[in-house]
Amino acid sequence: MRLKVLPPTLRKNNRYLTLDIKTTSPITKDELVSMIWDTCIRFQGEAMTSNFNLWVMKFYEIEKTDDYINYKSIVRCQRDFVENVRSSLALTYKYNGNVVSLTTIGISGTIKASQKYI
Amino acid sequence: MFFDLNVKGSSLENNVKLARQASEYGWEHINFSYNQNDFKNALNLSDELKDSLKDIITFNYTLEIKSTNINEIRKAVHKFRNDSLCISVIGGDLKVNRAVLENVKIDVLSRPYLKRYDSGLNHILAKEALKNNVAIELCFEDILKSYLAPRAKIISNFRDIYTLYRKFDFPLILSSRAESIFDVKTTQDFVSVFKQTGLSEDEIISAFKTSKDILEFNKNRKDLIFKGVRRVNDEA
Repeated sequence: MRLKVLPPTLRKNNRYLTLDIKTTSPITKDELVSMIWDTCIRFQGEAMTSNFNLWVMKFYEIEKTDDYINYKSIVRCQRDFVENVRSSLALTYKYNGNVVSLTTIGISGTIKASQKYI
Repeated sequence: MFFDLNVKGSSLENNVKLARQASEYGWEHINFSYNQNDFKNALNLSDELKDSLKDIITFNYTLEIKSTNINEIRKAVHKFRNDSLCISVIGGDLKVNRAVLENVKIDVLSRPYLKRYDSGLNHILAKEALKNNVAIELCFEDILKSYLAPRAKIISNFRDIYTLYRKFDFPLILSSRAESIFDVKTTQDFVSVFKQTGLSEDEIISAFKTSKDILEFNKNRKDLIFKGVRRVNDEA
């Protein structure tokens, strides 16, 4: 049996971050998920990260150049913790020995609106 | 408003890539930093770089002196003062920190906490920084490229510097020291990282303003007779 959906006043308020991801080697969506959790837990700690309500909604490959592979992604987080999440993501530097750069290029209240940054 | 006085300069091609990325992420002005040995060569690339970055972003050069010999630092400052809009010295050594903060010809003491177990500053050095108008530079790269205990120690050193900054109000600047496009972040990300380390938004804005003021001040340095008195070219 599924849980009944909460009324809007009891739901969490979300924000959708559009990330610009640059890596030296290819990554999958699962690797991005683990990278985001890893960097948030490392910088903010377990107790703080439990507030973030993180979820990777979309993941796109944009372009490949000689220097890097560019991906973009939409990540959900809780409204009051946007600053904490984006600072943690900005401090990602290496994952599995490869250089990675994550930076937030846009914030929106809906997934549809966040598509304009892609 | 978003000025970065320390982006690590290298080849022309790499500089163009960095500048384009910085412009895309919201930076308005960057300074490519070179050490005393490469600075002359870097100035020769200036015209080509200007053509490549026309209408994209404004840029300039920072002389970044790296030495533990105080006499060598003084000589390098004397040699390049008229060619450079910003002179910074890498700190970390207590003697260097003190000598730099006592020298009015130097604009920036970069990373006084480097390779130290403390912040490299105390109340006396903070007063000297204010008196001689030498800015203290904190680098984003130091947090980005460290992890676990070293990162925690660097952030702790930043907090010690913030405490002195709030009491003595010396010039403080924030810079990225980006070497590759992987180190360039959006301006909002840059601000939120420093907010997380304990700076307020107003203090961050004031730090960016200090960077701008350093460049403005040095544009008029030739006309400066002594502190507070400047030769003006206004006949009226």
